[in-house]
Amino acid sequence: MSKTAAKRMFIFVCTVPSLILLTLFMIVPTIQVFRMSMYKWGGFSNNKEFVGFNNFKILWNDENFIRSLQNSIVLIVLVTIITMVVAILFASLLTRENMKGNSFFRIIFYIPNILSIVVIAGIFSAVYDPTTGLLNNILSLFHLDHLQKMWLGNQQIAIYSIGGALIWQAIGYYMVMYMSSMASIPESFYEASSLEGAGRIRQFFSITLPLIWHNIRTTLTFFIISTINLSFLLVQAMTGGGPDGATEVFLSYMYKQAYTNSSYGYGMAIGVVIFLFSFILSAVISQVTKRDVLEY
Amino acid sequence: MKKKLFLAGMSALLSLSLIACQSKNETSSGGETSEKKQTLEVAALESAYGKDMWTKIVDAYREVNPDVEIKLTADKNLEDVISPNMKAGNYPDVVLLATGRKMALTETLIKDKALEDLTDVLDKKVYGEEVPVKDKLVPGFTDTLATNPYNDGKTYMAPMFYSPTGLFYNAALFKEKGWEVPKTWDEMWALGDKAKAEGISLFTYPTTGYFDAFFYSLLLEAGGPEFYNKAMKYEDGIWKTPEAAKAFDIVGKLAKYTAPTTVANANDKDYTKNQQLILDNKALFMPNGTWVVGEMKDAPRAKNFEWGMTSLPALESGGDRYAFTFFEQMWIPAQAKNKDAAKDFLTFVYSDKAADIFAQSGAVQPIKGMSDKLSGENKLFYSIYDNGAKAGMGGFAATEAVEGVSMADTLFHTIDSIVTGDKTVKQWQDAVEKASDKLRAALK
Repeated sequence: MSKTAAKRMFIFVCTVPSLILLTLFMIVPTIQVFRMSMYKWGGFSNNKEFVGFNNFKILWNDENFIRSLQNSIVLIVLVTIITMVVAILFASLLTRENMKGNSFFRIIFYIPNILSIVVIAGIFSAVYDPTTGLLNNILSLFHLDHLQKMWLGNQQIAIYSIGGALIWQAIGYYMVMYMSSMASIPESFYEASSLEGAGRIRQFFSITLPLIWHNIRTTLTFFIISTINLSFLLVQAMTGGGPDGATEVFLSYMYKQAYTNSSYGYGMAIGVVIFLFSFILSAVISQVTKRDVLEY
Repeated sequence: MKKKLFLAGMSALLSLSLIACQSKNETSSGGETSEKKQTLEVAALESAYGKDMWTKIVDAYREVNPDVEIKLTADKNLEDVISPNMKAGNYPDVVLLATGRKMALTETLIKDKALEDLTDVLDKKVYGEEVPVKDKLVPGFTDTLATNPYNDGKTYMAPMFYSPTGLFYNAALFKEKGWEVPKTWDEMWALGDKAKAEGISLFTYPTTGYFDAFFYSLLLEAGGPEFYNKAMKYEDGIWKTPEAAKAFDIVGKLAKYTAPTTVANANDKDYTKNQQLILDNKALFMPNGTWVVGEMKDAPRAKNFEWGMTSLPALESGGDRYAFTFFEQMWIPAQAKNKDAAKDFLTFVYSDKAADIFAQSGAVQPIKGMSDKLSGENKLFYSIYDNGAKAGMGGFAATEAVEGVSMADTLFHTIDSIVTGDKTVKQWQDAVEKASDKLRAALK
């Protein structure tokens, strides 16, 4: 056996276990999801009925699904924009400015990330409670009683209340990510620009932002995936999709259809739509934000 | 080089054998039945009654039938524990799991026709006794859609612990204020205005899911049993009839008397806050079942608090009053391996010995003479039918799964929107009729 052939053989043998596992636990189930979306099946018995694209046809006219899709999109857009702006702002404050207690704030902002989502649901149920809740009581402390709301009971507000909790828990994580890439920008850039008379804001937009752009692009994909996942967990733990479907997101709707409504095949059809939606959205965003990578 | 190859090959082999082992283990554990001792897998929901009574039942059965070894699975989230195994083909032999749960496992099996016909169990003698099961049961319990889901006279689910449902209130508060518990809805509204003047809301509900028994009773009051059964079988136009309209309107009016914070807390996480409103004298009535007493036993409460329960007020004075009976069901999956042994066990749970064990934990079965043995609050609750209330039973008929359509969602969850004013009663009624149309086509 020649040396290169042996090397290839070695690489092949080493990757085989993980390839097998990947196929078994990722690729096969994904194909199964696509396959099952064409069946009418309750999930347990052996009577599966092939119905072609019928599940997708029903989905197209299902108002409840459309509503859950809207809710998911609202969450993805809101959580991404607000979290990103706030996280970048805090990150640049903490890296660029010499404030007292820098590391203290860093820890404080990061703490929500350590908490499990069920704990966060508990915290925010307490915050949003209509009578004993923190939010309504703070408002009444400042005599803003007219702003008091049923944060989880009012159908127009409930989805934003969920968004608030998601933003709260996400900021710290992304802040730390942006901070790490900001820290690697050479200090000399800032020195040179300040000699040329650039102010802080100019420095931020002309130096900091372009040099962490690559990082921001990566986090955009993270935002999409984690908002889709975490919104499901939070909705399950906090409102169960209520009141009357006002906080239903597409994953919780999929779960409801697949299990509670005994329409496993239909649930898988929703799964396929979510799969394609998140894939395409990530691809589009990645294409739109493509810039030449600046090197330093 | 050879050594490297060997090592790599070994690691690949090992990881493969790991996978192979896994599947092997699974099949062997499922099919294992020793020749002498039969293993019976019993799965029971651990509800408010606790797990203890089930271990006692297993012990008691071991005494009378030493040939069978029972493997008990009792869990609060029973669906999560047993359904992965069921998907892999390992079915428990006997399952105690009611319909109306969130995961709807029982409903899924009904829709799939995957339950064993239990009609012959009713004729069997109770294990260790000389009486057939059907003679021990309180009449009426095996005649409804809750046990005969396909409406064909065959029983697929055995009725187990039953509990009357109704409106729960603080009896001490009524005594203190000198108020009467309303007998008609008109009296109810009058009381609502009186209570409002004192800053107390007339009504609250834990979650909209609790409206099932409430709304069924209301339908029974409005149209009687025949009308009710038609509605449960999705008869065309039934939800547009004047009888149904009466029921919708009452809930619509009740929504205006509902405590303002109810909807915000009407989810599976915060529903006890709504129940707390009754304990704190902030609301007068809530629809609930007898389990609420145990559920809230450690909660703080108003001084002298005393549970009371009443059936729904009548539509007009002298009219029928109903208290819906909720009961849990026990069933055998069609794919169970030891069906005969399972049926024997099913008769045993109706024996005097078993009934006493269950009753000690507060779980009451529909066995003749059982209600006389009760004491304390339970005696009060179960005597509701002696005080003139009629019992309602059975829910919607089984249908094939209809994608995207759920009667529970349309009929009950919408009430949140009625209370907040996001939907009108008319919109609600139309949506229910529309859902009923779609489900009728899928009737079994």
